[in-house]
Amino acid sequence: MATITATPGLGSRTTEGAAIRAADLLRWSLDHKVIGLQYMASSLFFFIVGGTMAMLIRWELLTPALDLMADGTQYNALMTIHGSVMIFLWIIPMMAGFGNYLVPLMLGAKDMAFPWLNAFAFWLIPPAGVLMIAGWLVGPPEAGWTSYPPLSTLFSPDGQTMWAMSLHLLGVSSILGAINFVVTIRNMRPAGMTIWKMPLFVWAVLATAIIQVLATPFLTGGLTLLILDRTAGTSFFDPGSGGDVLLWQNVFWFYSHPAVYIMILPGFGMVSEVLAVHARKPVFGYRAIGLSSMSIALVGFTVWAHHMFTSLQPALRIPFMITSMIIAVPTGIKIFSWLGTIWGGKIRFTAAMLFALGFITLFVFGGIGGIFLAAVPVDIHLHDTYFVVGHFHFVLFGGSVFLIFAGIYHWFPKMTGRRMNERLGQLHFVTTYIGTFFTFVPQHIAGALGLPRRVAMYDPAFTNINTVISLAAFLLGISSLIFMYNILRSLSHGERVGGNPWRGLTLEWATTSPPPPWNFRGDPVPFDDPYGYGSDESGPYLDAVERRFPAPEEAAGA
Amino acid sequence: MNPSNNSNSLMTVVWILVAFVLLVVGGLIIAEATPLVLPPAASAEAVQVDELFKILMALGGSIWLLVQGAVIYSVIRFRARPGDDSDGASIHGNSTLEFVWTLIPSITVVILSIISFQVWVNITTAQENAQVVEARGARFLWSFSYDIPGETQNVNSTVLHTWVGQPVVLNLETADVNHAFWVPSMRIKQDLLAGRSTEARFTPILAGEYPVVCAELCGSGHGDMHSSIVVHEDEASFLDWFDEEAFIILNPPDDPAEGGQLLMTAGGVAGLYACAGCHTLEALGWDAIVAPNLENVADRAATRVPGMEVERYLLRSLFFPGEFLVPGYDNLMPQHQYQDPEEANYMPLDEALDIVAYLCTLTASGESACNVDMLPDVMTEMGMG
Repeated sequence: MATITATPGLGSRTTEGAAIRAADLLRWSLDHKVIGLQYMASSLFFFIVGGTMAMLIRWELLTPALDLMADGTQYNALMTIHGSVMIFLWIIPMMAGFGNYLVPLMLGAKDMAFPWLNAFAFWLIPPAGVLMIAGWLVGPPEAGWTSYPPLSTLFSPDGQTMWAMSLHLLGVSSILGAINFVVTIRNMRPAGMTIWKMPLFVWAVLATAIIQVLATPFLTGGLTLLILDRTAGTSFFDPGSGGDVLLWQNVFWFYSHPAVYIMILPGFGMVSEVLAVHARKPVFGYRAIGLSSMSIALVGFTVWAHHMFTSLQPALRIPFMITSMIIAVPTGIKIFSWLGTIWGGKIRFTAAMLFALGFITLFVFGGIGGIFLAAVPVDIHLHDTYFVVGHFHFVLFGGSVFLIFAGIYHWFPKMTGRRMNERLGQLHFVTTYIGTFFTFVPQHIAGALGLPRRVAMYDPAFTNINTVISLAAFLLGISSLIFMYNILRSLSHGERVGGNPWRGLTLEWATTSPPPPWNFRGDPVPFDDPYGYGSDESGPYLDAVERRFPAPEEAAGA
Repeated sequence: MNPSNNSNSLMTVVWILVAFVLLVVGGLIIAEATPLVLPPAASAEAVQVDELFKILMALGGSIWLLVQGAVIYSVIRFRARPGDDSDGASIHGNSTLEFVWTLIPSITVVILSIISFQVWVNITTAQENAQVVEARGARFLWSFSYDIPGETQNVNSTVLHTWVGQPVVLNLETADVNHAFWVPSMRIKQDLLAGRSTEARFTPILAGEYPVVCAELCGSGHGDMHSSIVVHEDEASFLDWFDEEAFIILNPPDDPAEGGQLLMTAGGVAGLYACAGCHTLEALGWDAIVAPNLENVADRAATRVPGMEVERYLLRSLFFPGEFLVPGYDNLMPQHQYQDPEEANYMPLDEALDIVAYLCTLTASGESACNVDMLPDVMTEMGMG
């Protein structure tokens, strides 16, 4: 299938023979590994930025009255930027970072299909981040990350326009990156790797890229209309001049619901890798997992209006309830398949595995909450309450972010040649798990009891439960600092490893850690079954990989 | 098939049955927590929604226990013992098992969809003899207007009054941005959409006072945008309440300041102006902070613009709120109109005079800061009358 190969000679690699250094991340580079790390480093930066905002939000909500903020507008601005940063500058680019780093390696390729386009897609992100944050200088957006008109057109200050421009850039970045993934995965698989022998992470990236290519243009289109309404005097969303406020809601959610899967599907791919490697057992139901990614991508396009159950024309609510219920089935198949994967395995409790297991237990809670929200009569009560806030944080934090953590612990040795500290990893896991549970479960309860979302001031009856939520959220803040410390410390002090510290069968492990400039010396031959753990052939294969890419000798006499 | 195999598969069936019973019982226990996580059900619709909620709790609880149980069992039973570097069994799947765990969730969501649809039809079917209420959301206050059968005086109020067993249908319109009309105890919520009219309905079954909350982000005072619904025991007690309120309206006080206070008071039948949504005034129980504090406003009004009288400053502020902005506050107040009664922000001139007369009494000394008799002249000077 290797009909396209990266063109050698597209400029020299900055990583000749050596590990990628911090300074390389600030330079234009066509190396997919550098670009992957650039995505990840910038995302981690914005994780800290968005996390700091979350801490301020929870501080404000310790009491029913305004105390930290001068007025509701400041709170609304903070909540708007927190959501936008976490979604568009942390989770989505972080997943793109994993995809960039890992997909060519898993395919045994030298690079992505379009290295220049790849670099260009990344370099759209820093200006987008600046535009988003700099909105504060001109009056920040205050209409929430969903930015419904007329609040976002007639009332929100100029930062709202900058917010829309920022999302424009991020949308273009996302589309360009996705096209690159589709072409790469379609054309650059090594001889012998049929589509049914691709690692599940590659399957998931393919499904994600298809969603991004099809859905993101709707966001950029909607944003264009929003910018025109705000700056050029058009009235697409202004009912006073013949516009329609529901038009925005439809277009926005036609992208933003599939975006939910853009944020979680790559994580689903990562957890399949992590569970199989650390439970030493083949993925259970490989085809079902790969196909369920595709069916989620497909059905995901038919459920958007369940975000509008209280604004949509009543007659249209039931059809969207049915599609929303249906999408629970492929998600359930994945959960059961992962349980089947660890069942009968030999589970190693590495930090990566802890986060993968923690993800299963948390994500199923988020999924059950999703069924509540899909049932129209129940959603009428729960819509736009803290139940929804708890739900999407469960699937985004307990889901996507847990999987990002699992992925970082799992592939950090490949990227740096050093293992992260497992003790700190365990501490990070325990604090994160407790923090997640006690932040987001009480939010479900508060919402069902009557607390609306996006409020800076609330009924004093909710003081106690909000105090619990805030304290648990502060624990999450601390746990994230432990994680950042672990990363920084392990970059220089982590235990050095060879090419394949976890004894994985996928191709990224069949080279040095970190891989050489063009990834492999010679053309790598993939092991026939990417999840053939426990088979008679896998042991000798893994031993051979270990002999070829051994861990470096510790300094003599050390 | 040898006997030991038989007894093995028998044991498997027994274990599956035991697990199934435990999960069902566990789910039912979790479902009993339903009343703890919902406010009291005060409408006929709420009772039906809560039944569905309970079914979801039982089902969700079982699934949650199943997955937690499977993970906990696996990490204990299948953990790698120290020194064991071997791999797990090379099992790639099981078609029967995969078919079963696709089929059961599929059937479950079909059943859930059918039940939800039934509840939805029940709670949205129009009731006869409904009390029709025109409800309006404006940043950041609710107002309701409705007729009383057999009475000429209609009700305009920031609080909605009704009685047990009376179906209510609300026609919802917004004066500015989108809002959402939510009554947690009634389990109803409906967005108010700019440029459209939407509808919500409920039938109260429990007397009491219930909060009305705005559930769609509408700006700085969103968290403060609340009101209440008062459900009287029966029609007779509702009419008793109405007669008392109507008497005040039909026999307006002679003192314009008292009339002005009535116009601004939330909860009466005539307090239609949305002042309470943004201002603080302890005497009337207002605590919103979006707009300037009105405590002793007449004292400050006298000093704000050199040479300008209190009455002129207050009157102009009512109709041209952008003219004298208090530092630190944005121009968010509705621009009142006095010419066209069809305008959303219509304020008749005589009502404006009463309101100014009341505001003039808000002084530290308690004495009115204005000469009320000169107000009509001020109005004429301003070209407004």
